[in-house]
Amino acid sequence: MLEKSYASSEVQLVVFKLGKEEYSVSILQVQEIKRITDITRVPHTPDYIKGVINLRGSVLPVIDLKKRLNLPQQVLTEDTRIIIVKVDELSVGMIVDAVSEVMTIDQENIDSPDVVAGSVAASYLSGVGKLDNRLLILLNLEEIIGVGQEVKVV
Amino acid sequence: MMDTNQYMGMFLEESREHLQTLNSCVLDLENDPENLSVLSEIFRSAHTIKGMSATMGFTTIAELTHEMENILDLLRKGQLKASHDIIDTIFRCVDTLEQLVESVASNNESSIDSKPLITKLKALAKGESILPTPAKTEAVSIALGAASTIELSDTEIAIIKKARDQGMQAYEVQVSLREGCLLKSARSYMVMNALDEIGEVIKSIPVVEELEKENFSLSFQVIVVSGSEAEKIQHTVLSISEIDQAIVIPCVLPNDATGEIAAPKAIEPMKKDDEAEKAGNVPVHTQTTVEKKNKSGQSVRVDIDKLDTLLNLVGELVINKTRLEQIGLTHKLTDLVETIEQMDRVTTDLQAVVMKVRMVPVGQVFNRFPRMVRDLSRDLNKEINLIIQGEETELDRTVIDEIGDPLVHLLRNSIDHGIEHPNEREEKGKNPIGEIRLIARHEGNNVIIMVEDDGKGINADIIKRKAVEKGLILQGEADAMDANEAVRLVFLPGFSTAAVVTDVSGRGVGMDAVKNKIESLGGMVDVETKVNEGSKFKIRLPLTLAIIQALLVKVSEEIYAIPLGSIDSTINIVPSDIKTVQNKEVILLRGQIIPIVRLADVLNIPDSETQQHTEDELFVVIVHIGEQRAGIIVDNLIGQQEIVIKSLGKLLAGIKIIAGATILGNGQVALILDIGSLIQ
Repeated sequence: MLEKSYASSEVQLVVFKLGKEEYSVSILQVQEIKRITDITRVPHTPDYIKGVINLRGSVLPVIDLKKRLNLPQQVLTEDTRIIIVKVDELSVGMIVDAVSEVMTIDQENIDSPDVVAGSVAASYLSGVGKLDNRLLILLNLEEIIGVGQEVKVV
Repeated sequence: MMDTNQYMGMFLEESREHLQTLNSCVLDLENDPENLSVLSEIFRSAHTIKGMSATMGFTTIAELTHEMENILDLLRKGQLKASHDIIDTIFRCVDTLEQLVESVASNNESSIDSKPLITKLKALAKGESILPTPAKTEAVSIALGAASTIELSDTEIAIIKKARDQGMQAYEVQVSLREGCLLKSARSYMVMNALDEIGEVIKSIPVVEELEKENFSLSFQVIVVSGSEAEKIQHTVLSISEIDQAIVIPCVLPNDATGEIAAPKAIEPMKKDDEAEKAGNVPVHTQTTVEKKNKSGQSVRVDIDKLDTLLNLVGELVINKTRLEQIGLTHKLTDLVETIEQMDRVTTDLQAVVMKVRMVPVGQVFNRFPRMVRDLSRDLNKEINLIIQGEETELDRTVIDEIGDPLVHLLRNSIDHGIEHPNEREEKGKNPIGEIRLIARHEGNNVIIMVEDDGKGINADIIKRKAVEKGLILQGEADAMDANEAVRLVFLPGFSTAAVVTDVSGRGVGMDAVKNKIESLGGMVDVETKVNEGSKFKIRLPLTLAIIQALLVKVSEEIYAIPLGSIDSTINIVPSDIKTVQNKEVILLRGQIIPIVRLADVLNIPDSETQQHTEDELFVVIVHIGEQRAGIIVDNLIGQQEIVIKSLGKLLAGIKIIAGATILGNGQVALILDIGSLIQ
């Protein structure tokens, strides 16, 4: 949980890259960050579901985040990571191009997502953080993972 | 009100256990009304429920059990006879108690009215208790089993002698508390108090101060002088909760000549716990004492979740062991391989033990059936003898939880449709009393449960006609069927054979539900029948659902696991062996036409060799679900392996042809195919 030393108006974010853009999720939703490992394809799933991985004995689904957000694809590199997030008791891995840092940002500096109607569907965003000259796009994981809505069998 | 929530779980569990005991014991009593030990057991169970519910503040339950106890007491004393009316009333009480307990469990305000029952019980107690009371207080001959071990001081001997002059007796009461008893001092105090009421306590070992400080293991002895009989004293002590045993023996003074004084007989030790209290039913306790010799085995009640976790951990261990094995083999490390062989033995044993721990006897499910059969056969005016065999056969807990409903269904079916009315049976020259056998036994890695009746059997022709009438099959199909196939039509959805829809069965949701349930447990159900001789439903269940044997196959670069239970054989064919029938690919195997499934196509696997059709030889895995067969074409067979089944999780739960996942020796995830949906 969040340490008491942080003022309640501040949030800690895990910042990562998808292509050139910087995205982030609340650190409270992140369980761990893993290097890319063997991913087993699962047939009859939407294309953004990359497959399943073995996380210390549990089987976790992995989402190709860029496919999910309709961003251009890129090859896997040394920097590619899987961020394991937990949303509503559901652990899911997300493939990102690189994890850059963990930063603290004041709630005041987070705008509502419709300010930048960028390349990503607005429902997948929960806000835009401004820090110095950087724009951090906060993701709405509930919507992205689609909790509560079963993955449709293709 | 005091916070009783933390005891709620225990209360519910124990009440249910005791209700179960009541149910089976009252059944026994019905068959053998004179059996005193059964009566005592019923009494004890009722008494425990009364005590627990009163403590928990459930007055309705306590009241009802209290009235029950009164009746039972009269029965026990022989002042009442266990008539049909009384047995029925007791059964109704047990039912009502069950409802009351369940309403407590579901936290509902109970709307159940126990008043009529209580009135009935009271009437029974009054109305028929005029039987002559047996003459009592006759001097009983001495039967000293357990000799007194307490040394008495002169003063004490003097007191006892004086008491004897006044027509009283001195007894040594050996009290054992139940293991796990929390308030030992309080219980011992209650014992003392109770004894004080009916007599005078002159000595205790250890002394009262020590008892109060709980400086004793589980048992203590008391010398009491009383005008009451030994039975009365024993009963008084046993009525206090958490008392395991009370032995009352008359005190023998050093200068007593045997037989000089008509001492009451020693009473056989009376166990408060019912004998049937099974392993696993005793609350967790940490205390170990020397007194437990009389218990056959110690047991611990463990939350099933913890066992699941344990099983998962063992599963993980197995996976990691396999990984180590592979490392050893790849790098040719003989030392490592040897060590792992050792470890292999340990993990195999460990796994076996953990699986064993999760096993419970099917008796847990079976024991509610005698009552059900009794009630149903009465309703239907049939006479049925239920024979249960192999109730000690063990099955995984998860399977046990699920198997109840299908069995109820099969039994109801046998009772309702199978067994004929007594006069009809006599006309056929059969024993008017029908017989249903419920048999469980091991068969290899499976458990077989059979429901067998000697009723009228299933007429294949009628089944065919019905199935055609209902549009489930075509007339042509029906004509081509042999009797066995026809009888299996009862498992089709929407099939119900009862000409009359009765309350018992025949609502059309029958057998297919049974079949689905069994198959979802990885089992199979089949039926054999002979007209006028009876039918036999045979259920085959896997011992466990968590770890299975599987065949690993490779398609392109992907590895899949096929449960060995559904594999018939593996064969090699050449592409020209594949024929086409109605645009479907089939092969001919030993005269049988078997449809072909190309795994690469079904699973949309890119770049499979089989898709390119370059291979001269194809590997086919012949699988079956029930009677249905199919051949699955794969690129390669890797081998047989024990796999631990993992769920794919909520997000991917909708994918039908994947039954789950497993982790291979190299840490990779392999998917387990659901053969049922694959070959449909």
